[in-house]
Amino acid sequence: MISAQGLFIAFFGLAAVCFGVAVFRTSSMVRSALALLFSQTAIGAMFLSMQAEFLGVLQIMMMATEMSIMAIFMVMFMMDPGGLGKMEMTHQKGLSLISGSIAFMAAVAVAVFVDWGPGGASPPDAARQTRELGIELLGRSMLIFETAGITILTAMIAATAVAIQPLKRSGDR
Amino acid sequence: MSLIATTILAPLSAMVLILLLRRIPAALALTGAGIGLIASLGLLSGAFHATGEALMLPGLPGLPLRLAATPLTALLSSLVAVIGGLVLVYAVGYMSRDPERPRFFATMLLFVSAMQTLVLAGDWVLLLAAWELIGLCSYLLIGFWYRRPGVRAAATRAFLVTRSADLGLYLAVFILIASTGTSDIETTLNTGGSTAVVAALLLLVAVMGKSAQTPLHDWLQRAMAGPTPVSALLHSATLVAAGAILLIRTAPMLPPEALLMVGIVGGITTVVTGLIALGEGDLKRLLAASTSSQYGLMLVAVGAGVPLAALLHLIAHAAIKSSLFLGAGVFQHSRGSTLLAELGGVGRAKPRVFLGFVLSALALAGIPPLSGFFSKDAIIAATLASSNAPLLGPLAVAGTLLTGAYMARALRILWHGDGTTRKVAGLGWMGSGLAGLVALAAGLGSAFPAIESLLGARLPEGTLAQVLGLGAASGGLLLGWSVRGRRLLGPLWPWAQQGFAIAGGLDTWVVRPALAVARGCEGLERRLYDGVLATGRLGLGIGRAVRYSDEQGIDRLISALVRGTVDLGARARRLQSGLIHRELAITVVGTALIFATMLITLLAS
Amino acid sequence: MSIELLSALVTGAALFGVGVYGALSQTNLVMIMMGVELMLAGALVNLVAFWRFLHPDTPAGQMFVLIVMTVMAVEMAVGFGVAIARFRARGSVEMEEASELKG
Repeated sequence: MISAQGLFIAFFGLAAVCFGVAVFRTSSMVRSALALLFSQTAIGAMFLSMQAEFLGVLQIMMMATEMSIMAIFMVMFMMDPGGLGKMEMTHQKGLSLISGSIAFMAAVAVAVFVDWGPGGASPPDAARQTRELGIELLGRSMLIFETAGITILTAMIAATAVAIQPLKRSGDR
Repeated sequence: MSLIATTILAPLSAMVLILLLRRIPAALALTGAGIGLIASLGLLSGAFHATGEALMLPGLPGLPLRLAATPLTALLSSLVAVIGGLVLVYAVGYMSRDPERPRFFATMLLFVSAMQTLVLAGDWVLLLAAWELIGLCSYLLIGFWYRRPGVRAAATRAFLVTRSADLGLYLAVFILIASTGTSDIETTLNTGGSTAVVAALLLLVAVMGKSAQTPLHDWLQRAMAGPTPVSALLHSATLVAAGAILLIRTAPMLPPEALLMVGIVGGITTVVTGLIALGEGDLKRLLAASTSSQYGLMLVAVGAGVPLAALLHLIAHAAIKSSLFLGAGVFQHSRGSTLLAELGGVGRAKPRVFLGFVLSALALAGIPPLSGFFSKDAIIAATLASSNAPLLGPLAVAGTLLTGAYMARALRILWHGDGTTRKVAGLGWMGSGLAGLVALAAGLGSAFPAIESLLGARLPEGTLAQVLGLGAASGGLLLGWSVRGRRLLGPLWPWAQQGFAIAGGLDTWVVRPALAVARGCEGLERRLYDGVLATGRLGLGIGRAVRYSDEQGIDRLISALVRGTVDLGARARRLQSGLIHRELAITVVGTALIFATMLITLLAS
Repeated sequence: MSIELLSALVTGAALFGVGVYGALSQTNLVMIMMGVELMLAGALVNLVAFWRFLHPDTPAGQMFVLIVMTVMAVEMAVGFGVAIARFRARGSVEMEEASELKG
């Protein structure tokens, strides 16, 4: 009834959700970052099990790097990165819980009640996928990516500009 | 420049010059009058040579204004000019001490030019306008010394009485113009039938007012409050003559019934006012009553059907009465009053003036060969020859008798007494004017045949008339000289003093009711005014109430609205906390609402 | 509808819900950004599931995923830049105190 693929999907999905919940339950910052890392990795594994190899690998690689950087930032900016003090770090908890549950239930309702149509055939193998993705990228979606590229460049410059200290200050940077 | 225009415009331009310059009024007045006199004498000579002149001016649509110099009108025009000129000469001396001479001479000149327009008028509209103008000048001149007590009332009374009587003239003119369609006087005289009767009776009303016939004779006596030249010119020779002139000109139209009425009115007047003159205590008022009486005789002549006799008497009377008044003016200046009680014996003090006075008085009584004899004779002959002889004849004879009586009475009072006098200024001027008029009064009789041939009519003659006239005149003179007025009048004396007022006279019947109505109207108007003020106050009160409600009600409402909006804004402000998590929450809620709406619309469609 | 698709979609929904909870309830900017990451991840899962089970032969689905991943990266970069600037200006990145835009 349920194939191996489905089992894997369900397992990795559950892992992702659990780790996601753990991000916000722990009071240690580093543990939050690590929990998020594991959550994203589980998602990457989900991709792999859904036979989107390129995407899965990309996800795992990217998220690993990002989460590490995030951990460093945590340590920089948090008052209590270790989470050893017992401070309440949340606000409007009730509203958030309700919003979250409503969002979840709405999405599930949509997923259950909509007729998604007939299932598709099997996907092509990984090499072929990648090839077609490349052709797609450099062919039809070239404009999108060019635009995205410019946007990323702008964002990087902006982020750098925002983060740089003003030059007026004498002394070390 | 046409002679008609010169006759009218010369005095008028002199008036304008006087009003502009305010200097040498006497010289300007005499120049203007002199030029006008020359022009009118030119008109008269033209009439003698049968060259009539006419002038047409644009007037109302279809009713042009006409001035025509027919033999009759040229004669009357020269009469007005001559008498006006001589009286102005007199006035130079009479008013020599008066500080308001420019106003006097200007108004006199206005009157002269208005009178000339009336006399020369060829159509009704112009005649009406001139009629009104002379009424206005009379008002202005009677009230010349308006600061003296009683003068303003006299002027107003004269104006009101003549103006009310003028209504008759207006109605008559409207009837004539409506029935004939034109305003030309000569053409409208062709009306006949009942229109003519009605028009004639209405004209008679106007004549009664203007010529001071009974019962409207009182205003003339009160008009003596004006300066003596005014009395001499206006109220003896010209203005009151306007009534008689009107009747003489419309004589061809008057039907026999109207003529009878005219004669009766004239006859009653001549007797009643003669009696009044007999009992008068003021010299000028005596002469005024005499004027009414003589005009009564002229109306009798018209009523007898011989307007020529009335015209001749008018001409003679003009010269005679003017000279009598001028003499009275000299006496007034020398004694300082016109009351007969104070004028006793002034004749002895001023013998030359008194001589002129005597000559004119005898002329008035009708003693030959003075002018008055011929005209009186003509009148009496006319009445005897008319169809109503038994009625009009005795009235005319009685009038002649009374004329002699009161003139002799005046002469007696003026002569008997001591001859004290004051220094009179300007006697030279006054004397010359007086002399001219006395000469005319005495000598005009010789001109009457020429006038008869000019107008192409003949006077009736009769020895009976001559005898009756002469007898009445002499009898009257004798009575007046020898018997005192009081004794002559006997039981009628107190009534004569009151001016023969019947049952209270016009005072009770007209004046008091009119004043009561005026007072009532004033009270009504005051009440209306109060009403208007009350309405105004009501409006103000309403305004105040509105303002109060606006301030209390509407303003409070608006400020409550404002406060509500500010509160709403403050409450809405709380959404803008600036806190990220709140804004995220709002985003989530908003997105949820959008999805819900989308879902509902998708499901509904 | 296959069970695999359903389970993938449910996972995506759950991730999205947790992400919403985290973004709304955390005080720290970095934690909020983690919540956003989770939401985006949920969306990604859904996208891949749709691609795999409904249209496996069109590469456009994977294209979309690539773009979302790119956006995630950019967003994190900019967000951290802002966090640095904020930290330098105020000394903390707590969102409780960031009410300068209060209206």
